[in-house]
Amino acid sequence: MKYLGKKTITLIMTLFLVSVAAFLAFQIIPGDVVMSILGTEATPEREEQLREELGLGDPPAVRYLNWMTGVLKGDLGVSYRYSKNMNEMMPVAELIGDKLPVTLWLAAVSLALIVLVSIPLGVLWVRSGSRVLDAALGVITQATMAVPSFFLGILVTFVFGIILKFFAPGGYISYQEDFSGFLGYLLFPALSIALPKIAMTARFLRNSMLTEVGTDYVRTAYSKGCTKRRVMYVHVLRNAMMPVVTFLGMIVAEIVAGSIVIEQVFSLPGIGRLLISAISTRDFPVVQILILYITFVVIFVYFLVDILYRVIDPRISGK
Amino acid sequence: MIKIEDLSVAFGETEAVRHVNLDLVEGEILGVVGESGSGKSVTALTLMGLAADTARVTTGRILFDGVTLREAGSPCDKRLYRSYQGARMSMVFQEPMTSLNPTQRAGRQVEETLRLHTGLAAAERKEKVLEAFRAVGLREPEKVYASYPHQLSGGMRQRVMIAMAVILEPELIVADEPTTALDVTIQNQIIELLRKINETQKNAMLFITHDLNLARRLCHRVAVMKDGRVVEQGPVEEIFRNPKEEYTRRLIEAVPSRMERRKDIREVFQEPVKGDFRNTKEEYTKRKVAVSGAEERTSQESAQSAAPVLEVRNLSVYYQDGNVSFLSGDRKNWQGERLSLRERLSGTKKEWVVSGADFEIYPGESLGLVGESGCGKTSLSKAILGMNCHIQGEIRHHSIRPQMIFQDPYSSLNPTKTIGWLLQEPLRAAGALDKSRAMTKGDMVAAAYDMLRKVGLEESYFSRRPSQLSGGQRQRVSIGQALITSPGFLVADEPVSALDVTIQAQIMELLQRLQQEMRLAYLFISHDINVVYRMCDRIMVMKEGRIIEIGETEEIFEHPREDYTKLLLRES
Repeated sequence: MKYLGKKTITLIMTLFLVSVAAFLAFQIIPGDVVMSILGTEATPEREEQLREELGLGDPPAVRYLNWMTGVLKGDLGVSYRYSKNMNEMMPVAELIGDKLPVTLWLAAVSLALIVLVSIPLGVLWVRSGSRVLDAALGVITQATMAVPSFFLGILVTFVFGIILKFFAPGGYISYQEDFSGFLGYLLFPALSIALPKIAMTARFLRNSMLTEVGTDYVRTAYSKGCTKRRVMYVHVLRNAMMPVVTFLGMIVAEIVAGSIVIEQVFSLPGIGRLLISAISTRDFPVVQILILYITFVVIFVYFLVDILYRVIDPRISGK
Repeated sequence: MIKIEDLSVAFGETEAVRHVNLDLVEGEILGVVGESGSGKSVTALTLMGLAADTARVTTGRILFDGVTLREAGSPCDKRLYRSYQGARMSMVFQEPMTSLNPTQRAGRQVEETLRLHTGLAAAERKEKVLEAFRAVGLREPEKVYASYPHQLSGGMRQRVMIAMAVILEPELIVADEPTTALDVTIQNQIIELLRKINETQKNAMLFITHDLNLARRLCHRVAVMKDGRVVEQGPVEEIFRNPKEEYTRRLIEAVPSRMERRKDIREVFQEPVKGDFRNTKEEYTKRKVAVSGAEERTSQESAQSAAPVLEVRNLSVYYQDGNVSFLSGDRKNWQGERLSLRERLSGTKKEWVVSGADFEIYPGESLGLVGESGCGKTSLSKAILGMNCHIQGEIRHHSIRPQMIFQDPYSSLNPTKTIGWLLQEPLRAAGALDKSRAMTKGDMVAAAYDMLRKVGLEESYFSRRPSQLSGGQRQRVSIGQALITSPGFLVADEPVSALDVTIQAQIMELLQRLQQEMRLAYLFISHDINVVYRMCDRIMVMKEGRIIEIGETEEIFEHPREDYTKLLLRES
């Protein structure tokens, strides 16, 4: 309980500091929002009117407070760029709410692929004892890790989309229309994200397990008559998971925050693409909220990793 | 029943075990005694089918009840072995701390043996495990069943290991130094437990140890191993009474024992000493006066004759325990004092590990500190050396730069540096602290060479690295490091307990010679009361953070006042 309280306080303080920093950053960045929204249609009257509408006339501190109280009440502000219809501006909440499921599902599918493939692969790597397999996996994982993700995306598109025709490149299916079709399409971008991470995680797990297999408790397990397979899965794996869980946490934080490159390559309307376009068009309300979102995700994932540590290793909570 | 015939085991080109013949009959306990590297563990692991895959059996075979388990030339048949391991042969390991899986509950780990070898249902398995726990003397079997290893004490863990090994009443139990990592009082309980199991289950037991005395207490027969060979084998008392081999005799003699008087050292003192230490004899006499005077400190004479190198007055040491919740109702520490607001805010409280220590050490004196693990002896020594600042009371040093010799010569030397560099490091540190003491590079190198000679190492060791040295040689380097700044006072924390007995004897000899040459005072920490007996002039006995008895070595050994001291003396 005490632990939970401590973590929550840390989370709130971090979010507060990040929100201030994000807000300040956009005060310093040159360029006038009003001018950039109005473009060539700017007249002094319209400028004045829009400035008033957006509340840009107030001093920064007041604006920060207004913004923050709005955020706390659930009003995330309106986008400078997107509009709902001719007269209404697009609320940021709605904008993000629309894109978030895409990114979250992409992350979920990627993570499932990573965990389901890398863990058996890592165990197999240690268990086999075959030199050929060891060398082969060494080379393959090394190569997969080294390929940049955009290129991997192109490769996946080429192989599965153009040659094998498993999916239509660029033919994104919206999750509101056809959910299973959406998941089917996601499989390929998820594969592009997962492949290098699978290689890294499998390597990580292998190294971690190799340090465990020489330990005394493993010898004890063999002395009871356990098979190698049983020793690996029942005894070694859980002890070897600690560093791997940390690593998986880093990966999750990364992909939940939006895989900018992969979303771009597969033209997925997710958080990553939104972030890019919002930054390039000075859509500050959107950018600020996205920064807070990413911060929250990263901290929350690390918190989950911390909890997992305690589940995996009883010695930690015992202290 | 178990026959090891002409067994040789090799790793690559090096033979670890050479033509070993051992046999065991039902109900017999055979001790295999030897120092590290003698091949005793490799023999046991090969017998159990647990040796590394790189170990090859080059000659001979292993027979279990008429079945050939392992033969020269063929690899280990793991499938065959698995049907024996846990069911008909089992092993108890040395380190109960690391030999249990830290992430599994103790009950589940013992139950696994049943799961692997019997068709019992879950409830029956649990009942049987609880029964085994009761049989090995675990008082709260249900609680132990649900505990993780780190929640159990060393002795309890070893009992869990033993329960795991004996639950299916195997015909053979291999115990590899099962008591070495335990405190003496626990050691005896475990030995008794093994004896009891042997009597009720009639298993054959292979008891591996480096400690001849231990083998003598438990085993029926003993095989002495050296360099992979069995050099001598026979009934235990016979081996002790008239050892045929020179090596066996040396092993028996090297064991520090109370039979052996410390006179030999005293006699050395009586002889005129060469070199710059002409007045050693005088000082020795002076010291004797000072030591005896310590008990009646009112004596004017003693106060003048020698000032102590270290005075400790009413010293208490504590650790900050970070488990106090501000919100919890716990507002008092264990001594019943109210926690201060600061302690409550920072979420920590003081956990006292040493309380009210009061003693002094005189030049040229060895003060022994004995007690079981967790009694606070290391905390006390760290506080004395300023490595722990959470103290109350007074520590007054009258020597410059007291130094420390650590227990584990394998991990306490930086493996990437040369011996010469390591020896100079304290000089560099001293020079950096106090510019007036800075030495030139040449002087430091000369001092390092000088120290190598003093600790009995050849000059060629100067450019070697710790990995190229044996344990005893490394401990010599540690000693050299501690002495190079010529401190008057040294803390030696279990300096010989990681070493083989014959090496132990050499290191103790070295420490005594250096003490005499350099007029050093030692605070000598050990759990081995026999080692302390051999090394020390006075002894302090510590229990649960308090010094319960302090006095001259002979006095303590002959007339111990406290029950705990008597227990320690009897058990070891």
